[in-house]
Amino acid sequence: MTAWTVREAAVVTAPPAARAVGLRKVYGRTVAVDGIDLEVPAGAVLGMLGPNGSGKTTLIRMLLGLTRPTAGSAELLGESVPGALAKALPHVGALVEGPGFHPFLSGRENLRRLAAAEPLLASGEIPGAVDTALERVGLGHAADRRFRGYSLGMKQRLGLAGALLVPRRLVVLDEPTNGLDPAGTRDVRTIIGELHAAGSTVIVSSHLLAEVEATCTHVAVLAAGSLLAVGELAGLLDAGTGGLVVTTPDVGLALSTLEAAGAVATAAEPGVVVTAGPDAPEIVALLVRAGVAVHEVHRRRPRLEELFAQLTEGGIGTEGGSPNIGTEGGSPSIGTEGASPSIGAAGAAG
Amino acid sequence: MMLERTAAPLPRLLAAEVRWVFRRPRTLITLGLFALIPILIAVGVVVADRNGPGLVGAVAGNGLVLPVAAMTVALALLLPLAVAMSAADALAGEAAHGTLRGLLLAPVSRLRLVGVKAFGVLVVAVSAVLVIAVVGVLAGIVVVGSADGQMVTLSGTTLGFGAGIARVALVAVWAVGQLAAVGAVALAVSALTEHPLVVLAAVLGGIITFGVLSAIPALDWLQPWLLTSGWSAGVDALRDPVVLTALGSSTLRALCYAAIGLGFTVWRMQRRDA
Repeated sequence: MTAWTVREAAVVTAPPAARAVGLRKVYGRTVAVDGIDLEVPAGAVLGMLGPNGSGKTTLIRMLLGLTRPTAGSAELLGESVPGALAKALPHVGALVEGPGFHPFLSGRENLRRLAAAEPLLASGEIPGAVDTALERVGLGHAADRRFRGYSLGMKQRLGLAGALLVPRRLVVLDEPTNGLDPAGTRDVRTIIGELHAAGSTVIVSSHLLAEVEATCTHVAVLAAGSLLAVGELAGLLDAGTGGLVVTTPDVGLALSTLEAAGAVATAAEPGVVVTAGPDAPEIVALLVRAGVAVHEVHRRRPRLEELFAQLTEGGIGTEGGSPNIGTEGGSPSIGTEGASPSIGAAGAAG
Repeated sequence: MMLERTAAPLPRLLAAEVRWVFRRPRTLITLGLFALIPILIAVGVVVADRNGPGLVGAVAGNGLVLPVAAMTVALALLLPLAVAMSAADALAGEAAHGTLRGLLLAPVSRLRLVGVKAFGVLVVAVSAVLVIAVVGVLAGIVVVGSADGQMVTLSGTTLGFGAGIARVALVAVWAVGQLAAVGAVALAVSALTEHPLVVLAAVLGGIITFGVLSAIPALDWLQPWLLTSGWSAGVDALRDPVVLTALGSSTLRALCYAAIGLGFTVWRMQRRDA
């Protein structure tokens, strides 16, 4: 057995980095999180998307044991929350709800105070670990300035440094790019890439879709406390609206041909869109045989932004039935019967 | 498989907490102001041409009484305020800054967190009392002066320097006990809120309310339950021999307050969102 297969086996048997089972949180009469089931595979970079107030932060806080769920349970690195939280948290770095530091201490002193509480750091390693973390987020030059005088972006970078004091198995970043300039955003992307390459799991919540699309392997979309979609990014995008876009000037002829063949098609500039029916090669052959001038045919692959808009506005399947978004392998799927989206595997407990 | 650490060493946590407490500018300013209390009393006593009755009056020509008088005066309001301020920063202030999250995620267990925070508050109480006692002794000797460094007790007897210092130390320890009670109750309030001001208001309001209650004759039966009703017991250390009744009962009462306050703090922190 080679080292490679051993490592593969280890990856396969690793428990999910985080798991939520029917997590629900109610504040007074507000349902912040409405029964979410979620599994974050070890090694994944999960982008958590959702409009403001969709429950992203509350979900993260419950996973980290900062907030007690009203119902449901959570696991972090295979340990139950909050029972065995102390076993998991040393391996978890988190930046939740913005960076929290003391204004009268310098960046370095703030980090040293945090580092003193890190179980996995020996006392002798603390100064070195703090310096390394500061350099990694590009704050080396401002390390000895008081936190009070930091810009928004520098504060955010210091929060990131706090999450990276120790090599982590899981890093949770809640809106890490808040207040960062483009260079800072790029730095965060680089850091997430490095963490991913090192085998760490990353959960990153964001409202910047381009950000998530660029860095994530998996996506979870939340709205109004419910999980609308979850799965591998590529799978979600492929399964999105789907359909075949045919560019042609002969729209009328194309539509009648397709209709006759039992396909569902609508006119859309600059041609027609086929949303159901035979496979692509068959459709092309059909059209060409009918004498339709086909300039171009491509599969519609929505950008994350479109997918997100469709999901959060309940706009999926407004044309033609109620298609499901599914990922390969029986992951949760979404449908939008009626006004309120009903969720497949997720949110059943709600 | 090697068992790995799930918590940072406790001494390191305590040291970090103490460093944080003393890096806070307001802690240092408060301690500096406390040093002024015995000096002000000393100057007042020396400048005054006639000395009234009471503890401050007894300081005249009797320097070692000064630290006891200063501690008693400060215990009425200033020392509890300082302790309340530090308890307010300990939990409510950290929650407001978002730094409580960082500690809990490190992780520091919630029980440990209360222990570390209580230690920090106690360190402030001890430091404040120590500043008043030490500066009081020095100002007493230098500014007020006393014959051969002796202490004249309220009973009229004379104690040597060593015995006098022992009496000062007794009052200091007793005062720390009373402040521990204030600190524990303040921590309990601090565990309930994210606003440090609420803690200060609660402690200040509590002390004033207790004072009002103890002034109402119809409520005499309430006296044994009021923390503040034993706060004049420090004077008893200046009698010869020392009268321990009030010192003992007020210490017992303070321990009860401290236990209840800490117990509530632990209960609350186990449940608190951070």
